Amino acid sequence: MTIIKESAPHLRRKSSVARMMGDVLIALAPTLIFAFVVYPINTLATLLLSLFIMNLCEFIFVGIKNIKPKYEVKESFINRFKTAIKEKYTINNLLSASISAVIFTLIMPVGMKLPSGNIIPPIYPTIVGAFIGITFGKLVFGGLGSNIFNPAVVGMLVSKYCFGSSYINYLPNQYYSLPDALSGATPLYEGGAIYNNPNFSLLDMFLGKIPGTLGEVYKITIIVGLIYLLIRRSADFRIVLSYLATFIAITLVAGLCIHGKNSNVHTFEFLAYNLLSGGLLFGAVFMFTDPVTSPINSPSRVMYGIIGAIATAFIRYFAALPEGVGYSILLANMIGVALDHYEWSSQRYTIKKIIVIISLIVISLLITFLATYYGGIYKNG
Amino acid sequence: MIAKTKGIKDTKKLVGSLPAVRYIDPKYIFLATTNTRCSKFELYIKEGDHVNSCQLIGKRIGPFFEQPIHSTCSGTFIGFEKHYHRSGKLTDFIKIENDFKDTLDPSCKERTPEEISKLTKEEMTEIIKNTANVGLGGSSFPTYIKFQTNEPIHTILINGIECEPYITADHRLMLEFPYRVINGIKYVMQAFNCKHAKICIKKKYKDIKETYEAILKEEEGSGIEICPLGNYYPQGWEVEMIKNATGIKLNPGELPSKRGIINFNVSTIVGIYKAIRYNMPVIKRFITITGDGINHPKNFRVRVGTSVKELLPICGGYKNPDKEKVFILGGPMMGASVPNDDVIITKTVTSIIVLDKEEHREEPCVRCGSCVLSCPVHLEPVQIMNAVKTLDKERIKKLNPTRCIECGLCAYSCTSKINVTDYIRKAKLIAKL
Repeated sequence: MTIIKESAPHLRRKSSVARMMGDVLIALAPTLIFAFVVYPINTLATLLLSLFIMNLCEFIFVGIKNIKPKYEVKESFINRFKTAIKEKYTINNLLSASISAVIFTLIMPVGMKLPSGNIIPPIYPTIVGAFIGITFGKLVFGGLGSNIFNPAVVGMLVSKYCFGSSYINYLPNQYYSLPDALSGATPLYEGGAIYNNPNFSLLDMFLGKIPGTLGEVYKITIIVGLIYLLIRRSADFRIVLSYLATFIAITLVAGLCIHGKNSNVHTFEFLAYNLLSGGLLFGAVFMFTDPVTSPINSPSRVMYGIIGAIATAFIRYFAALPEGVGYSILLANMIGVALDHYEWSSQRYTIKKIIVIISLIVISLLITFLATYYGGIYKNG
Repeated sequence: MIAKTKGIKDTKKLVGSLPAVRYIDPKYIFLATTNTRCSKFELYIKEGDHVNSCQLIGKRIGPFFEQPIHSTCSGTFIGFEKHYHRSGKLTDFIKIENDFKDTLDPSCKERTPEEISKLTKEEMTEIIKNTANVGLGGSSFPTYIKFQTNEPIHTILINGIECEPYITADHRLMLEFPYRVINGIKYVMQAFNCKHAKICIKKKYKDIKETYEAILKEEEGSGIEICPLGNYYPQGWEVEMIKNATGIKLNPGELPSKRGIINFNVSTIVGIYKAIRYNMPVIKRFITITGDGINHPKNFRVRVGTSVKELLPICGGYKNPDKEKVFILGGPMMGASVPNDDVIITKTVTSIIVLDKEEHREEPCVRCGSCVLSCPVHLEPVQIMNAVKTLDKERIKKLNPTRCIECGLCAYSCTSKINVTDYIRKAKLIAKL
C-alpha cells in the first residue's frame, strides 16, 4: 500500500463541467425536438452541418494549440497531433462545441431562397456562420473557458448580415399555415401593429405558430428548459431574473405611455407580446446564462442581466435594427468583462453597487418614459 | 452546478455514537522537540534519566513565546527518533519508555474549590502558561495569550461545533466529560468576571443538547447555556460562530476580544480545567481514526505522544490495501497530508483520516462562479487564481488573498476540479513579498 501526499482539501464536490453542459443540452432537447417535428429536413440539415463544422474546428484547434514543438518531440506532425489530442481533447470540448452548434441551429432561419426561386435549408449561412462563430467568437480567444462573446450569436449575426436578404422565416406545413400576405416577416419585424393583429394570438405565439427562426419561437419548450436548468442549478437564476424583471419594467412603462396616447393598446397585452416575440426568452434562458461569457460574482451578474435587458429593450423600441437580443447579448458580454475588473469586482453587495443597480434601472425607465411619451416607439411609426 | 456549497457529505454517523476506546498505555511515548510555532528547543534531562508523568522536561523556543514540554507518562528517556509531525514535517521526537506505573510528578497537586475561587486572572494565566495549554482545536495558539487581554469580556463562546466532516473527537469529549467542560467554563468565567457563556454545537447533535440541558438544570443561574447552530461548513470558524451565536459581525482582521467576546475550543476548556484543578498539562486527548480507507473507524482516548502505527491494527487496518491512500492529520478540508503513516499524535491532532486517493483531472475553468458563491470571506478565488497565473502582483494585492482562511471550499466546489486553494496559498505568499 502506498501513501500519497496531496494538498488540502482532500474532498471534492460531486459535480462537473460535463454535468453542467449535459444539463444545457438536455434543456435544449425539447426545443430541438419541436423544431425537428415542425421542419424535419431543414432542422436536421442545419444541425448536422453546424455540429460537424463547430466540432471539427474545436478538434483541430485543441490539437494545434497543445502540440509539442518538433525540437522537443522528434516525431511526425501527425503523431504529435495525435498525442496532443489524446492528452487534451476531453468530453468538455465536445459538449461545449455541441451546445454552441445546437443554439446556433435554433436561431438560424427556417430556410433560404435561392436567386432561382428554389427554397432550400439555410446551407451557406450555416457553413459561414458556424465557422466564423466558433473561430472568431471562441477559438481566437483561447478556446473553452476563455471566450468573451457567445460563439452562436457571433455566427448568427455574421451569417445574417451576409445572407439576410435571402432568409425565409416561414414555410407552410402541417403545424400551422398563414395567409400569404403575412408569411414574409416575423411578428416583431412586422412592426408595432402586431399586438392587435388577429393572425397571431397570444396562444399562437406561446406555441410557436408564428414565423421566426427554427427554434426560438417555441416558448413552451424554452420554459420547460428554463425550469430544468434552474432545478439542476446549471444556470444562474440571478441573470434570468434580473434580465426578465428589467425588461418587464421597461416594457410596462412603454406600454403605459402608449396606452395613454392610444387607448386601443392594452398595457399587459403589449407586455405579453413583447415577451413572447423574437428571441427574447431563448436568449435569456440559453445565451445570457452561459457561464463563460457572464461575469463571475453575484452583483455583477445582476448588473449584467440589467444591462442586457436595457440594451434589448432600447434596440427593440427605439433603434432601427433587427436582432435586438443578439446585439444586447454581445454588448452585455463586453460590459461583463469590464464588470469583472479587479478594482471593483467583489462578491459583496456594497452600497456603491446597489446605487449603480438602482440608478441603471431608474435612468432606463426615465429614458423609456420620455422617449415613448414625447417620441413614440419606432416600430409603431 | 452553479451553487453555494453549504454542507459537505458527512460520514459522522459511522463513529459519532461509538464510545471512545481507551488506549492509554503505549510502550513508548514520543514528544515533539519543535513545531510550526517554535523552531528551537532546550532539554532539562539527560538520556537514561527517569521522568515522572507531567514532569517538565524541557521547552520549545519560538520567536514570540516559549512552550514548556511535559512528559505524558512516567518512564525512562532513551533518546531521539525521527517521525512525522502533525505539520507534515519529519521532526526529532523525544522517546520515553513507559514503565506503566504512571507516577505523578509532585508538581501536580489538587486545588480545593476554596483555593480556586480565590484565584485571580493573572494567577490563572500563570498556571495556564506553565502547563503549556494551547488551542486544541488544531490552531495550537497559546491559550495564555488569549487570557492576557485587558478588554472587558461579556460572553464566552465554547466551540464544540467541529464543522469539518468525519471528525467526532470533540463530540465524544462533550458526551463523556460534561462536568469537566462545565467546570472549565466556570473557571474561565471567574477569570474574566463575565456572566454569560454559550456552548455552541451543531443543531443535529441532539444527544449533546439533551445531556447539557439536563446538567445545566442543576446549575441554575450559572449563565451557561447551550446554543445549537447550523450544520454547515465552516460554521466552526470563529467569525461565523460569533455571528450566529451572538449576532456580532466582526470586521476582517478584528480580534473577538475587542467586541467583548472570547472563544475557546471545548478540548481547550477541558485542558484549562485540568490545569487549574489539578495543575496538570494536557496528557490525554480524544482522537478519531476514520475515513473510507479504514476498516473499522473508531474514537480513541490516547496519551499524547502515542504512535498512530499502534492504533491502526485496533481499527482493523487499511481497507483495500492495494489502492493508493491519502493520510490526513486533522479534517479532510484543512488537514495536512503526510507522506507516511509513521505519525505521532501531538496535542493538536484531532483526527486521523485515511481516504482512498481520487484522481482529479483538471479541466479549464468555465467561470461558473461556484467558488465565488461558496467563499465564506467573500473573496473571488477564480480571479485570484488568474492573477497568480499571470503573476500580476498589483492585482493579487487588490484581491485581498490574505483574508483567506484556507477553508478549502473553493477547491471543494470547483466544477472543473482545479485546486483553487493551492493558487490562493501562492497568492498569499506573493502578496506578502
